[in-house]
Amino acid sequence: MTTGAQNPDDNALAGEYVLGVLPLADRRMVEERMGRDSAFATLVSSWQADLSNLDDAYQPVTPPIGVKARIDARLFAEAAKPAGGLWGSLVFWRGLAFASVAAAAAFGIYSGNFTQQQTPGSTPALVAELGAPGSSIGLIAALDPAYGAFTITPAAFSPEDGKSLELWLVRGEGAPVSLGLVPGDGGRLVLDQNLVRQISDGDLLAVSVEPLGGSPTGVATGPVVLSGALSKK
Amino acid sequence: MRCRRTVKPILTDLMSGETSSNMSQDDLSGLIARIALGDRVAFSSLYSQTSPKLFGVALRILKDRAQAEDAVQEVYVRIWRRAGSFRVGQASAMAWLVTIARNQAIDLIRARQPATLEYDDAPDVADLAPDPEARAVLSSESRRIDGCLAELEADKAAAVVAAYVEGLSYLELAEQYAVPLNTMRTWLRRSLIKLRECMN
Repeated sequence: MTTGAQNPDDNALAGEYVLGVLPLADRRMVEERMGRDSAFATLVSSWQADLSNLDDAYQPVTPPIGVKARIDARLFAEAAKPAGGLWGSLVFWRGLAFASVAAAAAFGIYSGNFTQQQTPGSTPALVAELGAPGSSIGLIAALDPAYGAFTITPAAFSPEDGKSLELWLVRGEGAPVSLGLVPGDGGRLVLDQNLVRQISDGDLLAVSVEPLGGSPTGVATGPVVLSGALSKK
Repeated sequence: MRCRRTVKPILTDLMSGETSSNMSQDDLSGLIARIALGDRVAFSSLYSQTSPKLFGVALRILKDRAQAEDAVQEVYVRIWRRAGSFRVGQASAMAWLVTIARNQAIDLIRARQPATLEYDDAPDVADLAPDPEARAVLSSESRRIDGCLAELEADKAAAVVAAYVEGLSYLELAEQYAVPLNTMRTWLRRSLIKLRECMN
């Protein structure tokens, strides 16, 4: 009995697995063996390292903007787990968002029936935590369906001169729909009532950098700098 | 046994490519380490740096944008969950990421194909160990896979590359080369053994 490392059949099997030519049942068998036979697992690793030189053949193609938001929704939407200080804490930002809403109410900014809308059992607001790749900026968008407005907290960042930040609704496979420009200093973003009725739990929001005044074409033209999923909280 | 016929275009494309943008492997390794600690900013940064490559992998293998988008989602969910298993030094960070993407895409297409194939079990390749002299010649060659592929007959080298890059199954390869399934498998396994000898 030769060891795995010297056995040509095992070497060929490890190579076939890494090439990907085997049918599914055989792929699972190979993976099961990798788990219990470290010499064989080493053969697979060697093939992976050697064949990875062929990876240059894969030309990069930028995925559509909704993909990252859907990944975040799957991984992070349900959990408000603090990760990475206050910026990572949905609880913190949600608290801040609601605190600012409450403060606004206390100062009589909203109309009289506001508190009535917020009594227990009423439709809960939808909240999205929008995260930023590679930087620590972020914002919370809280939708109050009764008012047809997003409360944006905080929008403590300013786009470059001559640029605007535009908020998009991303649903399933459909094209993103513009919700309007993010107010420069946070605050409320009032939406068209038809649009409000289309927004539901699980929809995704994204913020892109656009020319001043917003995208001239109706589709996002600049990089997406923030994204996150709406959920009932 | 050496044939140095012109290799199919897919192979020449590849060889002219050289090592692509060695996009700071250290940076990628660092991001993966931070992701293992639950750092979502690092995760977003890794996504923006690597998703075009991994989407390219999924598209090339699945040949369908919607399926490739689904695959990429699955790939990054796996990356988030498995970041702790990445070991610097075992593989380059980009190779590790591409492996995850290839496995996901290949599993998806294999799931739509017969789970088993009626081929003879593991065609014998034991008679293929080259004699000592040939081995000496081979070992002076480049260890890089493309140098060793050039030692194979052109259509056999192209079959190896097409299997890897396009994610072709044995059935698809056999159809493409118009040979019986078992012949295809024997070819490919022998090619693999020759490659291994060349690279060792």
